[in-house]
Amino acid sequence: MASNPMQQFTVQRIGPEINIAGVDLSFTNASLFMVISATVIILFLFLGSKEKKIIPNKLQLIAEMSYTFVAKMISDTAGSKARPYFPFIFSLFMFVLFCNMVGMLPYSFTVTSHIIVTLVMALFIFIAVTIIGFIKHGFKYLSIFVPSGVPAVLLPLITIIEIISYLSRPVSLSVRLFANMMAGHTMLKVFGGFVVSLGILGGWLPLSFSVALTGLEILVAFLQAYVFAILTCIYLNDALNLHH
Amino acid sequence: MKSFLNFLIAFVAINTELFAAEAGMPQLDPTYWASQAFWLILVFTILYISISKFYLPKIKDNLDNRENKIKEDLENANKFKEESEAKLKEYNSILENAKKEILKIHFESKSTLDKDIQSKKESMEKEIEREILKAQKEISELKKNSISSIQIISGSIVSNIIENISGDKLNESSIKATIEDISKKNMNKFL
Repeated sequence: MASNPMQQFTVQRIGPEINIAGVDLSFTNASLFMVISATVIILFLFLGSKEKKIIPNKLQLIAEMSYTFVAKMISDTAGSKARPYFPFIFSLFMFVLFCNMVGMLPYSFTVTSHIIVTLVMALFIFIAVTIIGFIKHGFKYLSIFVPSGVPAVLLPLITIIEIISYLSRPVSLSVRLFANMMAGHTMLKVFGGFVVSLGILGGWLPLSFSVALTGLEILVAFLQAYVFAILTCIYLNDALNLHH
Repeated sequence: MKSFLNFLIAFVAINTELFAAEAGMPQLDPTYWASQAFWLILVFTILYISISKFYLPKIKDNLDNRENKIKEDLENANKFKEESEAKLKEYNSILENAKKEILKIHFESKSTLDKDIQSKKESMEKEIEREILKAQKEISELKKNSISSIQIISGSIVSNIIENISGDKLNESSIKATIEDISKKNMNKFL
């Protein structure tokens, strides 16, 4: 029988156990694929920016396109004030994208399919955006919870809803990415298991599904990285341009 | 399609029992949470620093370079275009002037030629008239001369004839006078 479709998400220690102050910080397969993704990004950007040609080669073109893509995304959603945060959002987008894409390779591990990873990123973004908002606007930043043009009767209710929605940002941001990646990979595994168990006679149908799903998952991998980055931009926009 | 879906549901139902043995998500096992968070922060920090310090400035430089180059080239192209347009205008005006000049020269030369021909024609006509007059004078002179010489010849002939017939020598002056008298009478017949 096909193996457990959740088995692909198990984290295993690689090498010696690293224990600092009673906390297990061992190098795992998750860490390995983080390192691989980061290395691929750095290699890609290194090769893409090595030759400064007026007419770029393919790799340089892709690197420059990703640069302009993220730059345009930031200026469209958060305006010119978000310019200093461009390197962070670019790194974030590239990291999530490459983690998702590396996860699409067979026998690899999808870093972003772990709630703890996406939650750490989302919490960092949430806390950073909140701090930026308070630095830029002081206590006036709290007016983000009080939308203008709302009838006075509804104002307490709306304010509560706004606070809840603001606080749920890190959860929705992290769960969206994690759930999408996990569901996709689980589904691929399940259909892969069908191919094996149905054999040469019946396996063709789930195989074709598998092929289609792989295409879909590549789309989802890109889309979720894009959504993650653009939501970060939108949160940043709320903190930078306070116009409620 | 529907039968396949039914089959699929049945299949999943059977399989879930097998999966149930190892049910649960590894994501919710907190054993390596600290490790994952730690390595994520470490790797991402290194990635962020290397991207923001090395690669983004490089890519930005290159993009700016290209943009400047394109702008420069476009400006140059515009300059050259304007220049060539000015040159074309100049050329057209020169061409126009040249055409006018040609027309003028053509007209002038034509009129001078006409004048020349006219004057030549006039002088030629005058010449011809003069020649005609001269010839007429010559002819009339010749006629007069011929009349006197005819008179002389006829006088000698008449005296000879009379001498031969009568044997007398007549007075020549009387013969001459007679001939002159006759010729004067008949002058209008000859001239």
